[in-house]
Amino acid sequence: MPLEYLPIMARNSTPKPPRVLVAPSKPSWRPMTKPLERSRVALLTSAALRLAHQQPFVPREDLSYRRVSSDPAAGAIVIDHHSGIGRVPKQDPEIVFPRTALAAVVKQGIVGELSPCHFSFMGGLRQHKEIENELAPALAGELAKEHVDLALLVPY
Amino acid sequence: MDIMSRVTPPRAVFVDHPVGRTFGPPHDRARNQAVLTRALAELANFTRPGGIRDPGFQWSPDGSRAWEDELRTEMLHHH
Repeated sequence: MPLEYLPIMARNSTPKPPRVLVAPSKPSWRPMTKPLERSRVALLTSAALRLAHQQPFVPREDLSYRRVSSDPAAGAIVIDHHSGIGRVPKQDPEIVFPRTALAAVVKQGIVGELSPCHFSFMGGLRQHKEIENELAPALAGELAKEHVDLALLVPY
Repeated sequence: MDIMSRVTPPRAVFVDHPVGRTFGPPHDRARNQAVLTRALAELANFTRPGGIRDPGFQWSPDGSRAWEDELRTEMLHHH
């Protein structure tokens, strides 16, 4: 039986009420139009991470996002998310943001190509309406602009 | 899994690792790549929106779930 996170999150949120999980009324769905080996792939992360020179995220209700170069040599990653699980991924952000692994599978031909950049935002926000009406459409627009076929979200 | 099953992403692959260590322990590039490759291989198997695939990832080679208690302590201690 997998670990249940909701009871832990509920205890952590006190004295605030537990976070409400919101699902879309209908799950979104786009069929795959290309095989993986011809697809352009981007990572999405809710770790509020960024390149060191980029503007820091501001806990806790920051609705902005960062474009992070998909080149593993582009510079060190900083994680701004305030979550208690951060001690380990801050030692090695690749375990929540596999930029190097994705570049490697592109070289191997498993994935067609890298998006020029990946996208990062703050997870755990309580402003669901703003996420749906502002942040998500902005990210979708960025992905379309970069001609991304497949976005892989790694939740944090 | 309890969160994933409630927020219904279009396609989801369950990685039964501690949260915040989705692609393995720090500095283990081979494991990062193995998890990524295995997760991407599930893409062809989704047939409906909201589906969750469980490829059977396990954190400890021996299947131990001792990490759950450690993680719970870490998360609650931080608070």
